[in-house]
Amino acid sequence: MGRAQPLSTALVALVALAVGFLLAGQVKAQLLTPSNQVGRNQALIRSVQDLERTNQADRAKIEALRAEIDALEAQAASQSQATQGLKNQVADLRAHAGLTPLHGPGVEVDMTSGPPGSDPSGQNRNLITYQDVQDLVNLLFASGAEGVAVSGRRITPLSAFSGSEGEVIVDQGPPLFSPIKIVAVGDRNSMEGALGDPNSLPSLRIREIQFQLTLGVRGAPDESLPAFDGSLEAPHVGPA
Amino acid sequence: MSARPSSRRRQRSHSSAGPVAVWLIALLVALVATVQLRSQAEVERSLIQADPATLAFSIDQLSRSNDELEAQINDLTQRRSQLHSGGSAAADLALQAELDQLRILEGLVPVHGPGVVLMIDASGLTALDLQDALNNLAGGGGEALAVNDQRVVAGVPIVQTAGGVTVGGTLTPPPWTIVAIGDTNRLAETSDAMTQQLRGDRRVRQATYRVESDIVIRAVVTERPFVYGVP
Repeated sequence: MGRAQPLSTALVALVALAVGFLLAGQVKAQLLTPSNQVGRNQALIRSVQDLERTNQADRAKIEALRAEIDALEAQAASQSQATQGLKNQVADLRAHAGLTPLHGPGVEVDMTSGPPGSDPSGQNRNLITYQDVQDLVNLLFASGAEGVAVSGRRITPLSAFSGSEGEVIVDQGPPLFSPIKIVAVGDRNSMEGALGDPNSLPSLRIREIQFQLTLGVRGAPDESLPAFDGSLEAPHVGPA
Repeated sequence: MSARPSSRRRQRSHSSAGPVAVWLIALLVALVATVQLRSQAEVERSLIQADPATLAFSIDQLSRSNDELEAQINDLTQRRSQLHSGGSAAADLALQAELDQLRILEGLVPVHGPGVVLMIDASGLTALDLQDALNNLAGGGGEALAVNDQRVVAGVPIVQTAGGVTVGGTLTPPPWTIVAIGDTNRLAETSDAMTQQLRGDRRVRQATYRVESDIVIRAVVTERPFVYGVP
């Protein structure tokens, strides 16, 4: 009796364990097809995350290299007037290209997607798209912006916007998602006037009403824009 | 005498340890099963929002972006080495090279290179249509752009007025001839997709493109000095 009880206890435990695993296995088997899909998606997501980490590290490297080059050039310019003259010209062009920070009066625009499910047609028209950002940036430049940044990414003369549903990519990414903050430095009154014009940004205005997208505009006496930290390589074009 | 109580204690402890062990194991099994199922459900729930097409697009875009960033890093590293190598002369060379490059990027000098020429003949197209076309080309490998001999860089205003579309303040009515210098493989792919889409638009009479080995853009942008911004 003394030996039989531990044995039976162990047996019961083993059976319970086996039943538990069988149950878990069975339920998991029911999810087999979606699980495979999940596996594939997980692999894709891991790739995206790895690439985003590399992207971030590369940007930091570019920023550090530009700062180092600037310091070396300043050192050389302190020894030669001709070098100083060239450096001043480059500094002016760098500022216009968005390669140096810029501050001054301006506006901030917060673009936020409408709540999920607010487009019953399933076309996701409640989401902020890259075209919305493109339209707004163009409007700001047309109304007196001297520099613009989209969620911390400075716009340069080569800038382009792309993306898929709800995803906004500026130049070399990585993707931005709602809420998106656009900051512009320039003619504040003119920009505020353009943003307040009910005839501007027609697609956004309609979707604001239909799908509860929001567009918050705020003027400020001193806005700051960061320097561009991406690539301005243009290997196929040369002076004519 | 003393063996009995001890045996009883052992018996009592055996009899209470058995059910406890069973409960513990059952609990463990339940925990394992729950954790397994819950993690499965959580992963699936979080991935519902990311469809494979979006993820594939992100991978493609990020891979290309990272290649471009790497190229920029190599270029800057080279420039730094050049500056380290020797004083003002090296700095002058590096600065002059950057000056030339920035003048090209900002549209301040005429440029040439391989590219594509798009022709769009339509009525009723708006400034937004032209902005879309130019943005697609800029994102599709365009390094210098012009429309109807008007140089375009980001920041050049393209505006819808009562008289039609203006580019940098100049009225630019269709037909539009858009020139893009850059990577011809990418530009051709982008132009192909664009012209196909445009041909499906009722307002468009004609949309074609051709690839050219050397295109010249003579038009330039006038630099605007900062009035409000302070670098």
